[in-house]
Amino acid sequence: MQGYVLITGATGGLGRAFAIECASRGWNLFLTDLSEQALLALSTGIQRMYGVTTRYCPCDLTDAEARKSLWQRITQLGLSFHGLINVAGLDHEGRFFERRIDDLQTILRVNIEATVEMTWRALQFREPGETFRIITVSSLAAFYPMPVKAVYAASKRFLLDWSLALRHELRDSDASVTVLCPAGMRTNKACIQAIAAQGFMGQITTLDVGVIAARTLDSALAGRAVYIPGIVNQIMRVLSSFFPTALVTEVIGNRWDKNTPYHGHTGGVRWTAAKS
Amino acid sequence: MDCSKELTGMTVVVTGATSGMGRAMAMNMAQRGAHVIGVGRSQSRCAELKRDVLKADPAARITVLVADLASQSQVLLLAEDIRGAALRPSGLVGWVGDGRIDALVNNAASVYNWYATTEDGYEAQFAVNHLAPFVLTHELLPLLELSPTGRVISISSASHFGATMHWPDVMYRKHYSCLMAYKQSKLANVLFVMELNRRLAQHSHVRAYAVDPGLVNTEIGQKGTSGIENWVWRKRRTTGVSPEQGAATALFLATTPALAQADAAYWKDSHPAQPSKAAQDSVEAARLWAYSERLCGMTWGAGSACCQQGDPMGSPLRGG
Repeated sequence: MQGYVLITGATGGLGRAFAIECASRGWNLFLTDLSEQALLALSTGIQRMYGVTTRYCPCDLTDAEARKSLWQRITQLGLSFHGLINVAGLDHEGRFFERRIDDLQTILRVNIEATVEMTWRALQFREPGETFRIITVSSLAAFYPMPVKAVYAASKRFLLDWSLALRHELRDSDASVTVLCPAGMRTNKACIQAIAAQGFMGQITTLDVGVIAARTLDSALAGRAVYIPGIVNQIMRVLSSFFPTALVTEVIGNRWDKNTPYHGHTGGVRWTAAKS
Repeated sequence: MDCSKELTGMTVVVTGATSGMGRAMAMNMAQRGAHVIGVGRSQSRCAELKRDVLKADPAARITVLVADLASQSQVLLLAEDIRGAALRPSGLVGWVGDGRIDALVNNAASVYNWYATTEDGYEAQFAVNHLAPFVLTHELLPLLELSPTGRVISISSASHFGATMHWPDVMYRKHYSCLMAYKQSKLANVLFVMELNRRLAQHSHVRAYAVDPGLVNTEIGQKGTSGIENWVWRKRRTTGVSPEQGAATALFLATTPALAQADAAYWKDSHPAQPSKAAQDSVEAARLWAYSERLCGMTWGAGSACCQQGDPMGSPLRGG
């Protein structure tokens, strides 16, 4: 395979794990994320570890113009892809009405708009003769309405439904779509603290990112539609499907309510930098 | 310059100097008159160290530098800062050092309870505990050569016993075990010292030492763990000796003018000791050396790693 795997959000905890896992399988990488310095470090490290070709280009995926120039660059370089891993995503946690509208729109722009565009364009740059694998990082939150993370969870629901439909459309063109729906992952300080705060539940619902990346790629190569890491998460997902959505929302909402103090209007904006 | 103190004129570098054994070493050597260059990850804890050193002795010479040793690029920047500090100790008007470093104490280490990668994509314990001192030592070696008794001291641990290099998956990516990754990194510390001495023996008077400090009551196992593991580390540390006692052997090696058994590489309780059999395997040591050079993008002895990485082979093909 001469072509590349394109990874967005490549320098975060999960993005790095995917990049490393792909490189360990001998695939060349095209990485993008916000910081050029972080891309340089990761790209260099991966080359040294695995000897694959890594290229990168920084891009602010919230910006349509930046996305345009990213694809111009890819065109100039004459790259083709046999895989796309949509990792980039974000959340600004807090109650809907307490958040700035700009922040809410940014969630939609990265999680939905950018992911749809990156996928559409990557499909134009398919490596001839190779199966094309798309992995999109959604979330366990995609299965439930989530108070306090309302926009985020709904955006992940969008990714799940859209991916499953796209998967159907692509089934005769040697391409597959796999959706990763993880619970919390230890990818950064905020996530680590959030998992620790959940105590025992946090421990048993959390897997190492390296393992998640490996199993997700295995799932994609096997052509699976959805991968939920962790047996506890899988069981919770199945059990919750027996109850009405309104009840599940009530339970989740009550749980978050306890942990989320009220702030004034737009006062509660916090970056969680959650990648999923 | 106050010449009345026994270590006056010495310059020592201590990584991980803001807590535990590193802090004990920094405080101790600064009070005995050495210019201490202390490295820490947190700006505020570095400032706190400096404040405490100066509180104990307003005339003490202390430089603090902030760097995250998990990052290869930050290690290189740190080396640059240390070179500057060895020449011009901060806050010491009119005092100019000769740029030499008498002792480099590679003390900083980390414990991660789960698989975590650094910005370079390397497993965090391997990166902080082994690769960082590998690069830092290489970068500072020319300054250590300037000292008549240049010494590299790496804090290893008895936990290297029973460990072997996990070559099929050095980063423990597939089946991460905090303990195995930690033990391997401490084995790597001893293998590094062994190979470094083999290489230095031919042309340099600088010597390297690995130290087993024993079980010491520090925070090392609690920063990167949670839940049960955090509890175990918390209980375990209470049975350990104080950081000051744990630091004794490294201090002895850093500050004793003429060592009686200068060619002994592994030390415990201020005496030479036997490391594990695996740690004495010169083939393994050479293999780790070559692997480390590859991951750090440099060839040992071919000039500063910064310059080596300036060539087009080392720089990644940029897409943007």
